[in-house]
This record gives sequence, structure tokens and C-alpha cells, in this order.
Amino acid sequence: MKKYWKSLEEHQEIKNKGTLDKKAEPEFSIDGLSQEEVKGKASRRDFLKMLGFTIGYASLASSCEMPVRKAIPFLNKPEEVTPGEANYYASTYFDGKDYCSVLVKVREGRPIKIEGNTLSPITQGGTSARVQASVLNLYDTTRLQNPFENANESDWDSIDGKIKKQLQEISSANGKIVLLSSSIISPTTKKLIGEFQDKYPATEWITYDAISASAMLEANEQSFGKAVIPDYKFQNANVIVSFNADFLGTWLSPIEYAKAYARKRNLEDSKEMSKHYQVESYMSLTGSNADNRYKIRPSQEQEVLMALYNELAAATGVQTYELIASPVDVEPIAKDLLKNKGKTLVVCGSNSLKSQLIVNSINHLLGNYGQTIDMNNPLQTIQGMDKRMYDLVDRMNRGEIAGLITYNTNPAYTYPEADKFVQGLQKVSLKISLADIEDETARHMQFICPDNNYLESWNDAEPKPGHYSLGQPTIQKLFNTRQAQESLMKWAGIEGDYYLYMKDHWESDIFPKQDQYSTFEKFWVQSLHDGVFALRQDEAAQPKFNKPDLKPDNQPKGNGIELLLYETVAMGEGRNANNPWLQELPDPISKVTWDNYANVSPKYAEENDLKNEDLISIQKDLILPVLIQPGHDDHTVSIPLGYGRTSGGRVADGIGKNVFGFIRNIAGNMAYSGNNIEIKATGEKYPLALTQSHHTMEGRPIVRETTLKHWQQDPDSGNELHDKVEKQHVSLYNTPSFPNFHWGLAINLNSCIGCGACEIACQAENNVAVIGKEEVRKRRIMHWIRIDRYYSEDSDNPEVFHQPVMCQQCDNAPCENVCPVAATPHSNEGLNMMAYNRCIGTRYCMNNCPYRVRRFNWFEYANNAKFPYNMDNGLGKMVLNPDVTVRSRGVVEKCSFCSQRIQDKKLKAKKEGRMVKDGDIKVACEQACPTEAIVFGNLNDKKSRVSKAFANPRNYHLLEELHTLPSVGYLTKVRNKKSIDAEVKHESGKHE
Amino acid sequence: MDDSHSKIRILGFKGVTKLSLLLFINLMLLSSFNLPAQNARQGKKLFQECAACHTIGGGRLVGPDLKGVNERRDKEWLYSFIRNSQAMIQAGDPIAVELFNEYNKVPMASYDYTDEQIESILTYISAKSEGKEVEDAAPETSKETEESGETVSEKADKEIALQEEMAKHELERDRNYSPAFWISILLLVLSIFDLAVTKFIKAKFVNVIVIIITGVIVVEITVREAIALGRQEGYSPEQPIWFSHKVHVQQNKIDCRYCHHTVDDSKHAGFPSAQLCMNCHNVVKEGSRTGKTEIAKIYDAIENNKPIEWVKVHNLPDHVYFSHAQHTNIGQIDCAVCHGPVEEMDKVKQLSDLSMGWCVNCHRETNVTQFETNTFYKHYTELHEKLKSGEIKEVTVQDIGGNDCQKCHY
Repeated sequence: MKKYWKSLEEHQEIKNKGTLDKKAEPEFSIDGLSQEEVKGKASRRDFLKMLGFTIGYASLASSCEMPVRKAIPFLNKPEEVTPGEANYYASTYFDGKDYCSVLVKVREGRPIKIEGNTLSPITQGGTSARVQASVLNLYDTTRLQNPFENANESDWDSIDGKIKKQLQEISSANGKIVLLSSSIISPTTKKLIGEFQDKYPATEWITYDAISASAMLEANEQSFGKAVIPDYKFQNANVIVSFNADFLGTWLSPIEYAKAYARKRNLEDSKEMSKHYQVESYMSLTGSNADNRYKIRPSQEQEVLMALYNELAAATGVQTYELIASPVDVEPIAKDLLKNKGKTLVVCGSNSLKSQLIVNSINHLLGNYGQTIDMNNPLQTIQGMDKRMYDLVDRMNRGEIAGLITYNTNPAYTYPEADKFVQGLQKVSLKISLADIEDETARHMQFICPDNNYLESWNDAEPKPGHYSLGQPTIQKLFNTRQAQESLMKWAGIEGDYYLYMKDHWESDIFPKQDQYSTFEKFWVQSLHDGVFALRQDEAAQPKFNKPDLKPDNQPKGNGIELLLYETVAMGEGRNANNPWLQELPDPISKVTWDNYANVSPKYAEENDLKNEDLISIQKDLILPVLIQPGHDDHTVSIPLGYGRTSGGRVADGIGKNVFGFIRNIAGNMAYSGNNIEIKATGEKYPLALTQSHHTMEGRPIVRETTLKHWQQDPDSGNELHDKVEKQHVSLYNTPSFPNFHWGLAINLNSCIGCGACEIACQAENNVAVIGKEEVRKRRIMHWIRIDRYYSEDSDNPEVFHQPVMCQQCDNAPCENVCPVAATPHSNEGLNMMAYNRCIGTRYCMNNCPYRVRRFNWFEYANNAKFPYNMDNGLGKMVLNPDVTVRSRGVVEKCSFCSQRIQDKKLKAKKEGRMVKDGDIKVACEQACPTEAIVFGNLNDKKSRVSKAFANPRNYHLLEELHTLPSVGYLTKVRNKKSIDAEVKHESGKHE
Repeated sequence: MDDSHSKIRILGFKGVTKLSLLLFINLMLLSSFNLPAQNARQGKKLFQECAACHTIGGGRLVGPDLKGVNERRDKEWLYSFIRNSQAMIQAGDPIAVELFNEYNKVPMASYDYTDEQIESILTYISAKSEGKEVEDAAPETSKETEESGETVSEKADKEIALQEEMAKHELERDRNYSPAFWISILLLVLSIFDLAVTKFIKAKFVNVIVIIITGVIVVEITVREAIALGRQEGYSPEQPIWFSHKVHVQQNKIDCRYCHHTVDDSKHAGFPSAQLCMNCHNVVKEGSRTGKTEIAKIYDAIENNKPIEWVKVHNLPDHVYFSHAQHTNIGQIDCAVCHGPVEEMDKVKQLSDLSMGWCVNCHRETNVTQFETNTFYKHYTELHEKLKSGEIKEVTVQDIGGNDCQKCHY
């Protein structure tokens, strides 16, 4: 039988003995306990101590008076607000890189949850972990509460006066003013910047993206005469080949791509799925989902690309180039691509002009332009040209810049030569930051004019031409901050507020372009309500392709150990480092929280005698712990970006190391790789908080898989065990029956990409506590839904499986009958309930749960200064969902199938006098999922989507042989690869 | 507690006889009134909103007495005045302008009613003007039965029962166990001491009996007090404004829902905004009992933009989710079932102990009001079949899972 494993230790066990008889790790960590305590022996003294404490505590409690609670009604209640009922407002999330159209859930004037906006043609209701977590940034205590001048609190009037005066002085002295920003996609802001430039003609606007795609912009300029990022249509691609592009996790527009990718692969309506090849150096989220994956060094990318180009060119009769030996056999890839001409997609994530030009040529050879790639509808979310930024820093150092305004960018942290940037700053006379916290850059600025959070601001966006998106404030400003645009308006001498300015712009510029609405008011109100508005677009011919010269240049070949820097799903370029939810989100692949680390391959580690958590020095100054990553290239070390903030806030500071400094300037583009890296073991250890081996399942058939070919012949393939177990379900007890509702959840393992959006959505919806690195290390993470990641096969290049696991809501729940106080009984709707007020914390249920989904509150996580994340202060607690109890110390908690949502929608149906429709109730994880992998519904309704999924031959349950009868079903993973070990098909039915 | 049980049981019993009563009432209604009666009942419900400013035969309030208004004005005039009186005044309609001036220039709110709704209000007014009584309107027939099925004497009984209950609760709350507790402890200690050391009482069984009796008393009191921990039965805090429900509800007959208007839509019944108070207190500037001082606090709040901080009387622990809408809108439970005769209280007092046992008992004994009428309950096919076959006679809240933990705790 094929073996699946979660950690290398487990893999070693399998290799050595062929069985997994290693005992599961103790359920709870014994770090820091004395020997006696470990044995569980209490002395007489301890007993007396406990007795005294109990009596004292009880008498204290009984002498407490009930607190006086106030009810403070509105003075003048707005018509649309009903206390106790949520309102949803459409808005737009854009952080300078990721765009998402969202709905903001507002309760009693507080935004508490972000949902995807299904009306958006781009993100289509999908979200990502970052989008889900963004609501917490609003309630961040690190946010500046007033404008600052030279590190002293000031007020807007005096600051505005001084800034205006200085701007005028610079302008009249013919000095240079630079507005440095991340990519801006707001059409109104662009217009405003234009007007600002009219007022101060010496102003130059420079866009700088810390994680840049400038090589792609340049390549498209050369190939098509348009410096744009094209629109990729993964939904039209039968074959996808990706070179170092993590398009499901972080690359360009991951929510959009994930949605399109999963639709082509869910095998729900179609019998066909796309085929995905991934060629990469580190194990990315996208690579983990690929059907076939190849490891290369970062420097070998162009060789493989050229080999592929030659193969294709030879087949289509186009000129080929001198061949360099490719480390990857590209023939099968080329065959698949040629078979599907016009229905393929080749993408490359490196910021290298040459690579991008080759990729353009390949796509051109394959006729993909106009089919899977649209040059006329470009993605506008990344616009920065690295050359201009390099140039700016040089000019600053030469003293050519008199004024600098930074907006939504933090070069003192993200710029490769941050010191040089800071030095250059000394020579700038007027320095203004529009950051909302005192970040690394703002610290060096004369004026900090704090921007609002996006949930407090009016804004618009145009992620693609003709696709407009509106953002509206959902809460009154919390602090004395001011929207960045309004600051620019003030300084440019434009009267009024930004809202009216934006409305005017929409009336004069956007309204005339459309023909759906007769009056502007109708158009405006509808667009604001929907959050998005898309102009009808005519098909246009793709621009002409200019064939580049692909002659290999004599680039020095990479040798030695190479370095690769990459962006993680949670942290991005470090903008979200102060968000505790994201810090505690286990990385989809490494399952590490609260740190960055150096990924190396198992082979490299073995050769150099490195173990997990060993500290190594990289290029002497940087010291990082090692993480042995299966599937990693053997000659590469890769490090996540976005950590090591020094002025990011109380959560962010001091976590991990900053590696932006390793970015190299290659022909004016930022290269996120390096070679000849010197690595030395320091002999020391550094603890990492991994969640991967917390809840081991001991090699039982947890993930089930098959190949497309087998599945097409036999839909039961890979899931033969299910029928066998179903036949064996015999019980002494009555079969549980739920005649009214029977809630169930189906998860399509083919759709799930493991991105983690559901984990954060669940955390926001259910007030799940953040507990910090130390507690995570003690295996106490509180997430109600986790994504298990399994490897199979060989540790050199394993297959990866992502499997979300939450409470399985077993009909025969093992946890229920061991509870001595009946705190976790079964409901008549098939739910395994958890009554916190009844729980006395014996944790028997946790021990008896085979799925390890129950969580224990070891401490009071709210109102506790020892957990300084978000629940220890009034501001952070504003994000809590008032419909869900905040659990206190000593009780067990777990997934409730979002009971509050079930009850809410049932009540709504009652009020409207109708039955509950399928799809009415959406649980938080389901709603957040960008790939529609999770479906919730009533199993009694045979027409519901969840019933259909349960009837699918692919459906199985976790540990179904235990007869727990879970209400959660999984659809087997189907991979579109040529062959799978024959034994899988034959032997997966056998259980050891 | 026992009293309240029996009361609820009576209500439950009524549910059983619902069907027969329903038929009876319908017959009665059909014979006495016909279509206008239906209309008038809808009108009565809608008129609750008007009743804040108008009476029918009860004299002037904020606005004129509407008795005989159908005769005084023509229909079209009434329609447009109800929909938008300000527009008429601005257009210079002589009657409208005169009325506006006569009633202190207090503008009447505009109501976006349909023709049918206005007709029903006017029908109700004319019926009332002629001195006819109009049945309560209710969207659900069951409530109708419950309300109208209640005879006058039953109503009086209910009131007396509630008052008794109130008195009893007060008594219970005031009972102080503390002397009994300490005396028992003292006796207990003395007896044990005597039994073991001094041996003053020769007959040991006396000591033993004393120990047993005092022991039982101590345990009993401890248990009682422990159970009562955190409960606020009888809680009646001072409020920032001396607001009397008695004056507003009993004397001025303002419906509960006029102020607590989100009760049918939301989990919260809703405290009225200060602007809502102003609907009447724009004109009523002086109270009969407190003069101008208390009402002035509303003006003060609005002028200084300082919200009124009421003290919440009925509190539930944080781990309980309670929805008013579920109980009042769907369950058709009268406010008084939990809150008692608030209309008789000058200062609101918590009468029920709001304990879990109290909730659960009610769920056990109360029938699902809309089980037959609300389409939602079609989900409960099995119960419907059992009801049809006569296997069960009624469906209680518990039967549909109302006592499952996770219906209130999540």
C-alpha cells in the first residue's frame, strides 16, 4: 500500500520498517514540567493547595456582585440599522498588490467579517487569507492616532500649513518632488495625482512594488508594444505549465486564478480536467497541487524554457536555437502542449526579462494569445518598473530630490539596499509619509500623515480596464487620521472631501462610458450597492507579436548553492506582519507559524548533517533555522520574505529575519535569487512552531487518490474501501436518525488547494483565539479548521495532498459518551454540540476524538496581558463576533458547523414563511473558499449539493471503518498524470 | 415557580383546543362582520402607530381626535394627508395649514401606505367612532384564537395571578437565610465539639440529631445560594431618567412595539432612540408626576449629543444566545410571559429568574405556535405525519429540538 506521511521522521519510519508503529506523540507537550508532574502524581501538599484555591475561588465568586450593564440606544437611529442584525456593504480590498471585491459584515457599526463579493467578475466571491484577515488591521493598536511632526504628535492644520509652504518653496526653487507609491489602481487617485502634479509641476510619480513583475512588463513591451500584465484565463487552459509561478498562492491575482483553475479540475460536471506541470525550485503552494512537478535550480530556469521552446519550435517548423542540456526532460510537456494548441498556458514567475521573453515566444508558438492570454484586458494591479526605483535611490543620494512623499510603501524595509535608501533620505529636505503606522520608512520622515484603514475610506479601483470597483467606509474613523487622497487634495489646494471628488470623477469620466443607466444617480447607487461595475467590452484583435532574439547569452552559470526568496501566502511583502491571525496561520506547505526559516532539501540536509531547527548562517550575517522541505531542490536554499520587521508593531517586531537585502539587480530588474551562497552550521538550535505533526493519524487511509484515467474508467477508483466499509457498518445501537435537518459538509479534495483562507475565515467568524508561538509549540493551536498536508512517495519529490479537517460532526460521536457532565451531546439536526457553560475541562472528549479536532482553553486568552495579540485590548476586541461566545479558561471548544449561521438563516426562513433553501446557509469556511471546495447543506434534502456530493462514488469519510458516521465527506483526489503505481489501485482497498 | 408552570400549562392547553376555537371564532366573525371587519382588524393593527398621537373619541393628544374623521374630510384629502401632509401644507391646502397651525406646527410623519392599508385604517376609525369593538388583528390565526379565546374573567384571573406572582417573588427575594445559616453552623460546631471533647450532653443521640438537622440546613442553604448565584430576580435598578411604563403603557395605551420596535426582527427588542421619544415629547413637555425635570433629560441628551445610558434590567450571561424575534414574531409569545405586567411598573423589575431551568421548562410545555401555518415547519415531516395519524396531539418546542444545547449556546 502506498504510504502517506506528514513529517520526515514519519517518512524515515516508513522507509526503515515499512510500518508505522511509532507511537503518536503525547497529546500535550511536557516542556517545562517536572518529572513528578509528568507522571501525574500530586503530593498531599498539592492537594491542599488545590483545595484551598477552590474554596477561596468559590467564596470570591459568591461575594462578587453582578456588574451593572448599560444599554445605550442611538440618539437618532439610522433607518437601515437594526441592533442585533448585520448589514453588508460592498467594498474593495486592495493593498497595493492583491485586489479583491468584498462584502463587509457590519454589526452595530463595527465591521467584523469580510466576505467575497459574488457579483465581481474578477474575484467571483473568492477571498484569500490576507483578505479575510484584513478586518483585524482596522483594530490594530499600532495604528497612528494622530499626525506626527518630527516624532511629536501634531494636528492637521499646522502640519498642512508647513507642508504646503515647503512644497511651494521647493516648486518655486525648481526642486524635484517625488511621490513614491506602490501600484495604484484607483482611477480617481490617478486623476488626483495628475492635479497634484499640475499644482506642483516638479512632481514625479514613481511606482515601486516590493515584489515586482517589472520584467514581465518589459517583456510585453518588447513583444507587443504594451507594458502590461496580460489577463490569464486558466479556465480555458487544458495544459498549464508554470515555471516558478505560485499562481494559486501569491502570483499576480491568485484568487482569480485559483477560482478558474479549480473550476477546470473539480470533476463535478465534467469528466475532463486540466493537466498541470510545475517546474520550480522550492515547494510552492501551486507546486504542491501540480500533477507533475520538476525540481530545478533557479539558474536553470532559462535552460528548461529554451529546451521547451526548441522542442516546440522543431515540431512546428520554426527556427530553433543552440541547445543547452536541460536538466528536465521536456518532451512529455511539449507533447501535451502541442496536442492542445491554443488551449494551453505557460507562465513564469521569475522577474527575469529573458525568461519572460522565452515564455512569450512559447505562448505565441502555441497560439495562446487571444485564447488563454488576453493582451487587451490587462491586469493593472502591478505596475512598478524596478529601474525607476533604482534610479530614484541614486538620485536621492546625489541630492537631486528635494521632496519625497511615500504612500503605501515601505522601502526602508523592502528595498534591497535599505541603508542606501535611508542615507539618501538624509539629503531630502521635505519628507512625508502617508503610512498608517510608524513603519521603518515613516520613522525617518519629518511628517507622518496617517492614512485611514481601507474600511474607513472611500475609494475606487480599476483592476482591469473597464472593471470598476468601489470601496466605501463601513465605520466612522477610529482615530484622528485622514485618507491619503484627502491629504493630497489639501496640499494641492483642492476643496471638498474625497468622496465628492470621487463621485464627480465617476460622473464626468465613467458614467458617460456606459449605456446601462440613464441617470448618474441610478448608476452611482447601483454601483455602490453592487461594489463593482463592468463596462461591456468588445473583442479586439490581439496586438502583433514581435519575435525576440532568444539567442542564449553568456550569462555566468549558476553554481554553488543558490538562493531563492519567495512570498508566503500569509505574509506577502510583510505588510501584514502585525496581524496576529496571519502570523499564526500555519504555512500551507511547511506548517510553520510565527517565523521564517531556510528551506533545504532532505538530501542536502543529510549531506551536511543538518536537522530541523538547526541554525545556519547564510552569507555570514544572516542566521536562520533550517527547515527540511521535501520536494525542495537539492542545490537551493529558499527563504520566505516579509519577516524581520523592526518597526511593524508589537506583534510583527522581532519575528523572523528580513531577507529583502538578498535581492539582486539584474539588468534593472529585481532578481529574487542568488548563487554561490555560503552556508555554515552554527551548531545552535532555534525552536520553530510547527503544527504539522500535532495531530498525527498514524498512516491510516486518510487521503485517497487516483488518476484521471483510472477514474474515468471506474469512478470508484481509489475509493474501493468506502463500499467495503459501508457494508460492514453493523452496530448494537440504534441507527441515529435526524428526520428534520441533517447538516453535512462535503469537501472536494480536487478543488482544495490548501491556501488557508478558510482557517482565517473561521477564526474571524468564531472568535478563535491567537495563542502565540510558545503555545503553538506546545501543540495548543486553537484553529477549528486545520489543513492537513500529507506527502506521499519519495521525499525527493513527493506528491502533496491538502486536506481540511474540522469537527466531523459524527452521528456516532466517540467524544459524546465519554463526557462525564454531558457537555457535548447530539442535536436533533445531526450536530455534535458543545456547551461551554457545562464543560468542566476533563478533556476526555479530546482524548477520545479520533480526528483531533477539539481544542482546550489552557488559559484565559481574552483580557489577558500574557497574550498580547488582539483580545487583550478594547480596540482589538471590537472584531469579535457578538453572536459567538468568547470561551474562557478550562473549556473545550471545536467547530460548531457555524451554528450561529444555521440558526440565523433558519429564523430568516421562518420570518419569511418559507423552507430553508439549499445554499441559504453558508458556513464561514465555505464562503471564504476561493475554489468552492467546501459545500454545506442538508443531507435530508436529496437535491442539495451536499447530498449529491455524498452520492458521488468519490465520496468517503475519514476513518470510516470506526463507524463514527461523520457528517463530513471527502471526494477523492484525482491527479491528471500518466500513471500511478499500479499497486495503489489494487491495494488501496486493503487496510493494514 | 410552580405558579408560572401552571400558567404556562394553561396556555399550552389552549393550543390544543386551538382548532375548534378557530372554527368557532371564524363562524362568529362571519356572522357578525364581513369583509370590512377583516379590514378593520388590519386597520387596528396599523392604528397602533397612529395611536402615539391620535385617539378615537379620547380627546386631543399630539394630533386631533380622529372620531368621525371620515365624515369631516373627504377620502382623497385623507389619503394624501396621510401620505404626505407636509407637501399639502406647502401647497397651501387651507384645511391642512389650519390644522398645522392649530396643533403647534408639529408635522405629521409621512406614511407610505397602500390604498388598501389606508382604507383599513379609515374603516377601523369609522367602526371605532360608531362605538364598535374591533378584534385584534394577527397575521396568524393561532394568536387570534389565543387572544380572543380569552374571556374577560380569564383575563382578570391572569392579571391577579401575575400580581400574586410578583408579590411572591418579592417575598422570596427579601428572605434572608443568613441568620439561619450562621445559627446552624454554630450549633453544628458546638455539637461536634461536645460530642468529641466536652461531652456535656450525655445522651449522644441528641448531638447526632442536632448535627444531622443543622447539617441538612447548612447544605440546603448553601445549595440554594449557589444556584441563585448570578441571578438577578427582583433586580430593579435606578434609571437615568425616571421613566414609567405605567404612565406610557397603561395610561396612554402605547403599544410595547411602538418603542421596542425591533422586537420582531432582531435578537434585541431594542431600546428606543431619543428621537423616537421626541415623536410625542416634542409636544408633551410636562409629565403629571415628574413635571418637566425628567422629560427635559431627553432634550438635554439630544442637544448635547449625549446618548441616554439606560441600565439593562434583564440580563443573560454572555454564553446565551437569545432572540426576541424567534419568541415574539415566530413563537407569538406575549411580552408579559417573560417580563410580567410591565404596564403596572413605574420602575421596571425583573420578575422571572431567567434561569436555564425556567427557559427549558417553558420549551417543554409550550407548543410550536406556527407549526401548521408556517411553511418553514414543512421540514418537520415526521412530526406532521405523527400529528396527522394522531400519534401525538401537540408539538412542543422541545419536540423540534428547542432544548438542544446548541440552539442557545454557541
